[in-house]
Amino acid sequence: MVKRALITGITGQDGSYLAEHLLERGYTVFGMTRRESWFRHHNASHLAGRIEVLFGDMTEGVDIAAAVQDARPDEIYNLASQSRPGESWARAPETLLINGLAAIRLFEAVRHACPAARVYHASSSEMFGLAEQVPQNERTPFNPQNPYAAAKVYAHQMARIYRESYGLFIATGILFNHESERRPLHFVTQKIACGAACAALGIVESPDLNERGRPLVEHGKLALGNLSVARDWGHARDFVRAMWLILQQPRAEDFVVGTGVVHTLADLCRVAYAHVGCDWHAHVVSDPALVRPLETGRTVADPRRAREQLGWVPAIDFETMVRGMVDAQVARLRSAPATHPD
Amino acid sequence: MKKALITGITGQDGAYLAELLLEKGYEVHGIKRRASLLNTDRIDHLYQDPHVEHRRMFLHYGDLTDSTNLIRVIQQVQPDEIYNLGAMSHVAVSFEVPEYTANADALGALRILEAIRLLGLERKTRFYQASSSELYGLVQQVPQSETTPFYPRSPYAVAKLYAYWITVNYREAYGMYACNGILFNHESPIRGETFVTRKITRALARIKLGLQECLYLGNLDALRDWGHARDYVEMQWLMLQQETPEDYVIATGEQHSVREFVVAAAAELGMQIDWSGSGIDETGIDRHGQVIVRVDPRYFRPTEVDTLLGDCSKARRNLGWTPRTGFAELVAEMVREDLKSAERDELVKRHGFPAYDYHE
Repeated sequence: MVKRALITGITGQDGSYLAEHLLERGYTVFGMTRRESWFRHHNASHLAGRIEVLFGDMTEGVDIAAAVQDARPDEIYNLASQSRPGESWARAPETLLINGLAAIRLFEAVRHACPAARVYHASSSEMFGLAEQVPQNERTPFNPQNPYAAAKVYAHQMARIYRESYGLFIATGILFNHESERRPLHFVTQKIACGAACAALGIVESPDLNERGRPLVEHGKLALGNLSVARDWGHARDFVRAMWLILQQPRAEDFVVGTGVVHTLADLCRVAYAHVGCDWHAHVVSDPALVRPLETGRTVADPRRAREQLGWVPAIDFETMVRGMVDAQVARLRSAPATHPD
Repeated sequence: MKKALITGITGQDGAYLAELLLEKGYEVHGIKRRASLLNTDRIDHLYQDPHVEHRRMFLHYGDLTDSTNLIRVIQQVQPDEIYNLGAMSHVAVSFEVPEYTANADALGALRILEAIRLLGLERKTRFYQASSSELYGLVQQVPQSETTPFYPRSPYAVAKLYAYWITVNYREAYGMYACNGILFNHESPIRGETFVTRKITRALARIKLGLQECLYLGNLDALRDWGHARDYVEMQWLMLQQETPEDYVIATGEQHSVREFVVAAAAELGMQIDWSGSGIDETGIDRHGQVIVRVDPRYFRPTEVDTLLGDCSKARRNLGWTPRTGFAELVAEMVREDLKSAERDELVKRHGFPAYDYHE
């Protein structure tokens, strides 16, 4: 029998990779999206016609209940999110509505309409914040450092409560940073890839604007926040495979998904600019205005459970990922008109 | 004159805190929800006729789910202190209304913090967030202190956990004077009638006077650290009078089971209870052989919190906290007050007038 999967956040990086992964495995894929998001260019545009689109807004419980009813899914992947921790300071209430309350609306819909469905909920390594323990595993206490992380803790704890209280199959993936050429431009990794591409092509004023409406690269410089920020970065294509594996297990559990290898933003700059034969020091500046009010600490995954129980090992390493992102930006800047961050 | 704004002023803590602040000379503003029934019983003795001069207590209609309203009230009042005591505060009910609980308890706290910033009051207004021992849930350490990791077990507790973290985040990011009081259970004669302690004292008083036959309870072995709300609101005020904002556990450090609470309340009424059976068949029998306590599984929570015990040494050290009212005294006071109202009902009934029956 053909399995049916419902993905919220289908137009995002993870949603589009996951949809491809499930289509390859013969699933019927339903994607929930806001009408206005679907009708502009996005990461899942190339999947039009191959997936069923359900229009709805994650801040409206009725829309979520309707999507669950229409899709009658065997598996649900809840990826919809206000996905920018730094921006969550300026958008704290909205972030809680989408990242926190929408999740429980979905869990309630599952409880009443399709209690046998398996649910994957996207939790985040941001929940660890200033963790006292390095690396972090499934038992590390949370210490969220921004409204995004606090909202993710909310949804993560509710996932556990729905699992324990009602016996629903609700599993979570505590995903560490995962990037790809599909990352929107306002993510720092993609900014760097774009900056390196500009350097390669000799562009001193990028056609792309940053969140403050200024060229991303201005006077030949890319402005970033705190460059000593250290993260565990993997490739999104590897991570969506982990999501799928998490729902194929006999029991619903929480899984930390990350590479276990840590790099700083400066490392990322070095690899990206070196790929196009440039020294990043000449092109990147640190702007205090881009530093977050509170910084997340050193987050690095202890992915032992994912490796042992899911057999999950990332296939794409850091350097390959960064170079791929830079190549994609070079190709885009050579051919395409500018896109603006949404 | 200092001005304080209290959300949840119509609740148990709101009423005690309003009384305390009025005694201390504050101008007190409270937010109450419009409801179909009058909901100001607990503060009617403090409320002043709107026509008298030099009033020091004011009520505003409002709701933690209405940000426009919160911004307007805070702007009008320009409070020196805000006590966020308003909440959907019933753990079992939160499983029925998880979304509303999050909206009022989690987003509600955030809305106030945002309003303070938006109005440019970060340096003037101090913020108290009513956090809860329910954050500890499935306890990771015994007893629980400010450094114990949280493990919430209900939609109520998770919503309160969000409010806890967002309060910490806003304090650290924006330098606001904002703090969490992690209060263990605190009770009083004006505790809501559906909370287990009040349910017990009220039911036993009514059983004693023949107004009710039986008391139905959930988990009799749940262990809690119970203090008196009057003592606890003083700590809420003290937390906002320090040099630096910090989070504090407020508790008695003493633990009793629901069963012990029942026995103590019954003894106060001169009733003796013998327990028989076990599990959901356990019953409490009085000396006339009547079954007056039964277990009803409908009062079990989908996920239970079995034990809570607070370590309040930080509050003891920094705030000079010592709980004044002990367990026996708390139970006695609650029973005394509920016996009075049961006597009134009994009198009314005896003279042929209707007295209300109470059902959850």
